[in-house]
Amino acid sequence: MDIELSTEDLAFRDEVRAFFSENEYKPGEDYNQWRLDWFAKAREKGGWDIPKWPTDFGGPGWSPTQHYIWEQETAVVNLPWDMPFGIGMLAPVLMAYGNKEQQERFLPDIRARKVNWCQGYSEPGAGSDLAALKTKAVLSEDGSHYTVNGTKMWTTMAQIADWIFCLTRTDDSGIKQQGITFLLFPMNQQGIEIKPIITLGGAHTINTVFITDVKVPVENRIGEEGKAWTYAKGLLQHERTGLAGISRSIIALEKLKNQAGTVKRGNATLMDEPGFRAKVAELEVDLMAAEFTELRSLASASAGAAPGPESSILKLKGTEIQQRIQKLTVEAGGIYSAAWGAKPVGPSFAKGGMGGYLASRAYTIYGGASEVQKDVIAKNVLGLKRSR
Amino acid sequence: MNFELSDEQQLLQDSVARFVSDNYDLESRTKLVAGKSGFSKEHWSTMAELGWFSLPFTEADGGFGGNQIDTMVVMEQIGKGLVVEPFYASVVLGGGILRRAANQDQKTALLPGVIDGSRQLALAYAEEQARFDLHDVTTTARPDNGAFVINGHKSMVANAETATQIIVSARTSGGQIDENGISLFLVDADAEGVKLENFPTVDGLRASEVTFKDVSVDASNLLGELDGGFSVLNETANDAILALSAEAVGAMEVLYKDTVDYTQEREQFDHPLSDFQVLQHRMVEMFMEYEQCRSLLYRATLEAAQGDSATAQRTIHALKHMVGKVGSFIGESAVQLHGGMGMTEELRIGHYFKRLVVIDAQFGNADYHLQKFAA
Repeated sequence: MDIELSTEDLAFRDEVRAFFSENEYKPGEDYNQWRLDWFAKAREKGGWDIPKWPTDFGGPGWSPTQHYIWEQETAVVNLPWDMPFGIGMLAPVLMAYGNKEQQERFLPDIRARKVNWCQGYSEPGAGSDLAALKTKAVLSEDGSHYTVNGTKMWTTMAQIADWIFCLTRTDDSGIKQQGITFLLFPMNQQGIEIKPIITLGGAHTINTVFITDVKVPVENRIGEEGKAWTYAKGLLQHERTGLAGISRSIIALEKLKNQAGTVKRGNATLMDEPGFRAKVAELEVDLMAAEFTELRSLASASAGAAPGPESSILKLKGTEIQQRIQKLTVEAGGIYSAAWGAKPVGPSFAKGGMGGYLASRAYTIYGGASEVQKDVIAKNVLGLKRSR
Repeated sequence: MNFELSDEQQLLQDSVARFVSDNYDLESRTKLVAGKSGFSKEHWSTMAELGWFSLPFTEADGGFGGNQIDTMVVMEQIGKGLVVEPFYASVVLGGGILRRAANQDQKTALLPGVIDGSRQLALAYAEEQARFDLHDVTTTARPDNGAFVINGHKSMVANAETATQIIVSARTSGGQIDENGISLFLVDADAEGVKLENFPTVDGLRASEVTFKDVSVDASNLLGELDGGFSVLNETANDAILALSAEAVGAMEVLYKDTVDYTQEREQFDHPLSDFQVLQHRMVEMFMEYEQCRSLLYRATLEAAQGDSATAQRTIHALKHMVGKVGSFIGESAVQLHGGMGMTEELRIGHYFKRLVVIDAQFGNADYHLQKFAA
């Protein structure tokens, strides 16, 4: 065990920094073109556009330390806009369970960020209890296609998605974890209707998706019919690891300290107030530990293990930390955090604070609610019998 | 010892509760909030007719002769309904200053309008550098031939947009943070040099940034003693904290009860959510903390109504601390236990949650009052 960065690691860090500064967005540039170019150049670096993909699929094959360096460096720069659904969530399933043809058909466009994906998992009656999903897929008599009917809910960015990966029910005769089938289909077609869900912060990122008589060719099924619960569970582990956001929280906490340092209190600032200062300090302590929990998880992942139950720990700790930072930002803004008009009022940081805080309440709900995550740890790590 | 409402107070509670249940479902509120003034002029008239605005004023002043307990009764129901009409801004804040500081002529001129709703008051006290300190005042009022000339900027003034008069705290002597040397003035909202920038707040209410540029007011618009405005402001702030806390307790009650109901209806893993012990315990804690807030609310309100100001002051700090802390806990827990639905604007709980978050920041947040309490 040691935590020294080797000469090679330091060289890697410099290379990453150089890459970011060379390819920085310049004001006035066509954003979309810059974005696609950025990923193309990252690709030329040897898979920097897909850091977490395995080498067989073009990934860079970094050591845990290199991943850690990448995480740290990416947290402080403006990376091109990206969505996790294709790159981080569908791709691992395609690699593990898709056939060669499907991999060749879908992975290149995912990698090039040409196609936006959304995730058709939750339903009105299937939230934490995902396996209760009811969206029906019926195979045609000639076995050529499925007809899909049902409602998906909380579908993030469905309004701009080109394709959806969708869990459907093909059999309800057995236990509910059986009979679930993984289908891919385009969003822009008859029979798909999207209704926005407006969240507390007033934003539109999530949607309800109504699916009516949508025909899906059988070649768009991933893996075997009825076996998708296993695939989906693996996918959720990937989702959870990605939600912890530890590096981003480290940066966010520094930002919060700077912001609170601008809030005058007599001759001192808010950062000198014992109550506020103690809460910031407690956050920092928790973050220091969480950073190393993430590193340990990265190390075991790079040793070839799939993300295990420690991804649940990270999701729990990471999201709780993010929420505490958001809450303190609102507190730092004082009464100005309440202003909800177009123009900022009071300290400049106050405007974004409230929206961020309200949105952060979802972090302990999506990707598996915290209560469910704790059940997972109780059962899979501590080996406890399920209670109610 | 008696924690029961009097017959009169019970009638008042029933009357406000009936008004709320007749007029305030989420859909109607959403429409009001999106409208031009942010509330209903009709509701405002109804409230005046029902006599709510006369509550805190003495019978000699044409009022009902009530005290903080009566205000608590109204504000709790306002909290349960998330009522948006500016009762708090006009009657609790504006009225609180007038009944303490106004002389007979001023009362005769102003109170009938406040009580019948034709006048609406706003209180401009907050300044950015002050954070929550009422005595940190940079706005100035300079004497000028039997008049005062006011200059400065006041922040986050509740319901100034529709107010007919704004009461402003300004420095007439002393240094920036001296308690002495603060005076209160009544300014017509449309007076020359008064500039309002109006905006919504996240809880669906309205506030304004108000700039005073060479605003000249006659000396007869000074409310109370010259340089002696701080104690009036502070006592009114205490009334405001009691009122906001009563509103918060009303909102907390809705949140915990809605959560208990929802978890019994919503099924996951083939059981109602309420079957899961971890969720039951969370709801038990929401309930207990809510009851604790209600107890402290009674304690502070009764002490204030008895006029024991030193004891009440300390309890008011304790109350505002607890309301802030528990408000976040109950609001966040209600959202968490409603899951995704709790995050939407479609259910009412998110709106109650947002109101509680804002109440924490009004007149000093949980940290601020804990520090005051411990000092």
